[in-house]
Amino acid sequence: MCKNPHQQDLNPSHFEGTEEEKIAASEVDQGYMSHIKGMKFFDPHMHMSSRTTDDYQALADAGVVALIEPSFWLGQPRTGLASFKDYFSSLVGWERFRSSQFGIKHYCTIGLNSREANNEALAEQVMEILPLFLQKEGVVGVGEIGFDDQTAAEEKYYRAQLELAKEMNLPVQVHTPHRDKKRGTERSMSIALEHGLDPKMVIIDHNNEETVKSVLDQGFQAAFTIYPFTKMGNERMVEIVKVYGPTRIMVNSAADWGISDPLAIPKTAALMKIKGIDEETIRLVTYQNALDAFAQSGQINESDFISGMSVDQSEKFNGNTVLRGGQAPRINKNSLIIR
Amino acid sequence: MKTSDLLFSEISTWANPTEIAWINQKNIGDSKSLALAFVMTPRFISKQAIENVTEIIPGWNFRGWSLDRLVRVYFISLLEANSKHESEFHEQLNILFDTAEMNESVALYSALPLLKNPKNWILRATDAVRSNIGIAFDAIAFGNPYPKNHFNELAWNQLVLKCIFNDKPIHLIDGLNERANQVLADTLSDFAHERWAAERRVPSQVWRICVDFINPKLAEDIQQLLKSKSQNDVIAGKLVLKQSNSALLDPLRKQIDLSENMNWALLEKPDPIYTV
Repeated sequence: MCKNPHQQDLNPSHFEGTEEEKIAASEVDQGYMSHIKGMKFFDPHMHMSSRTTDDYQALADAGVVALIEPSFWLGQPRTGLASFKDYFSSLVGWERFRSSQFGIKHYCTIGLNSREANNEALAEQVMEILPLFLQKEGVVGVGEIGFDDQTAAEEKYYRAQLELAKEMNLPVQVHTPHRDKKRGTERSMSIALEHGLDPKMVIIDHNNEETVKSVLDQGFQAAFTIYPFTKMGNERMVEIVKVYGPTRIMVNSAADWGISDPLAIPKTAALMKIKGIDEETIRLVTYQNALDAFAQSGQINESDFISGMSVDQSEKFNGNTVLRGGQAPRINKNSLIIR
Repeated sequence: MKTSDLLFSEISTWANPTEIAWINQKNIGDSKSLALAFVMTPRFISKQAIENVTEIIPGWNFRGWSLDRLVRVYFISLLEANSKHESEFHEQLNILFDTAEMNESVALYSALPLLKNPKNWILRATDAVRSNIGIAFDAIAFGNPYPKNHFNELAWNQLVLKCIFNDKPIHLIDGLNERANQVLADTLSDFAHERWAAERRVPSQVWRICVDFINPKLAEDIQQLLKSKSQNDVIAGKLVLKQSNSALLDPLRKQIDLSENMNWALLEKPDPIYTV
């Protein structure tokens, strides 16, 4: 979450666009949507449980067709197993349905997050129920797991969950720490390799200019969270793609309880377009690479969402399509009158 | 023939040899491995659309189901048959309910009418009615005889009213006519009045549940329907006049031409009431 926003000035980016590009980008603040017409996006990291239906509507309008919700903490520690169980259930139940009402395919990753790994008594119980949830339909990986404070307990459960992922042949979504990030990232990768995971099955998240080279060099997938003040800004993201190209790079929004922007991917795609990055590269880093990485779970079927979420047979009665808690009726958000 | 055997023979109509082989590998397991097979089903069984060839129990049909849903129901039926004690079955089924993914919930609610003691699962069934997950609600509401056979009047009425409120096709509820009652008809009238006061409407076919319960207030509602600008509301009004025996409707019968041949099927189609 947010550190002191004023700190951003202390760490100037290594990458800067040209003056002209900066001006162009600021001029198109309004109406960026015209630059991404027809594009489709796959956001592999969104905590939708913390967002409103307005966000879902905006995502659908901006071209987000599928997303992955990693399990995390809830802003404060849980006190019992039942609340973990209910949270995991909601990720494969209610949240999945809520998303479907806006035509967005919802997947999730399931795991014991680093912060709550520190409550060992509870962590043991959570480990017991993880395999059950990891086998569910549409669960595309173990995540988000990794280090926060880099304690011994965090390491213990990170290792245990890597083993689980290996056993179940699932991708891993690795959260890298806010503090001491570079060392934490290296440590996360070396432990994954030590456990014999194929680096292409491991998505290292929340990268920045300092971590990306090593992540890519070692064959891991590199995710970037476009998040105001703390993680990546999208201007810096454009520069990273210019330097490293699209291979194994993917963008996400995190969209959580903090000051984040669920439209980070569409906005970054627009900025890339304005800054002259070719459409195929944009498609790879905002859609295809995330899809390919998590489709290694065998749980993603692109045809389920690529042409909009189709109404399947189970949603038809007597050959007639009916509104069965399917697509939500639209409302005009700009209208003063509420009918 | 046991229920699970009947289900297996239905499955055999649709599944390919690879799918059958996987099922045959799993169907000999203990309760724990059957519960796991239930969870894993979509990894091995396709989502092709199916419908029933035979009726397994009255009122239970799987028109429009996907094959994996039927296979999951089969595993639940086996789970009950193969558990050593009822408590073992209860434990496993409760775990499945408590951790259910959306499509798993659908399969669990679909399986309830097949269980040996369906009444034990009444709270799960009424939870499905409380659910706002559309497909979970539909699994208990449509093509499922569980509510007709086991819901008390309060729960039954809640099911029908929630269907109406959510723009769902009530004619697919098993037992709609048999379980119609005065309280339900009166509540429908109240609901319609609320909608009318807000210049909104209710789906035309819902008036079918009032046919045998006409009182002075409902007689006025029928009169209202006959004056409606909606052709479907007029049809609904005429159908009530034709089918009800109530003398309260006699004055209306004298004014309206009822010679035309019609039935409720005319109105069994999407009739959205929430439009902007």
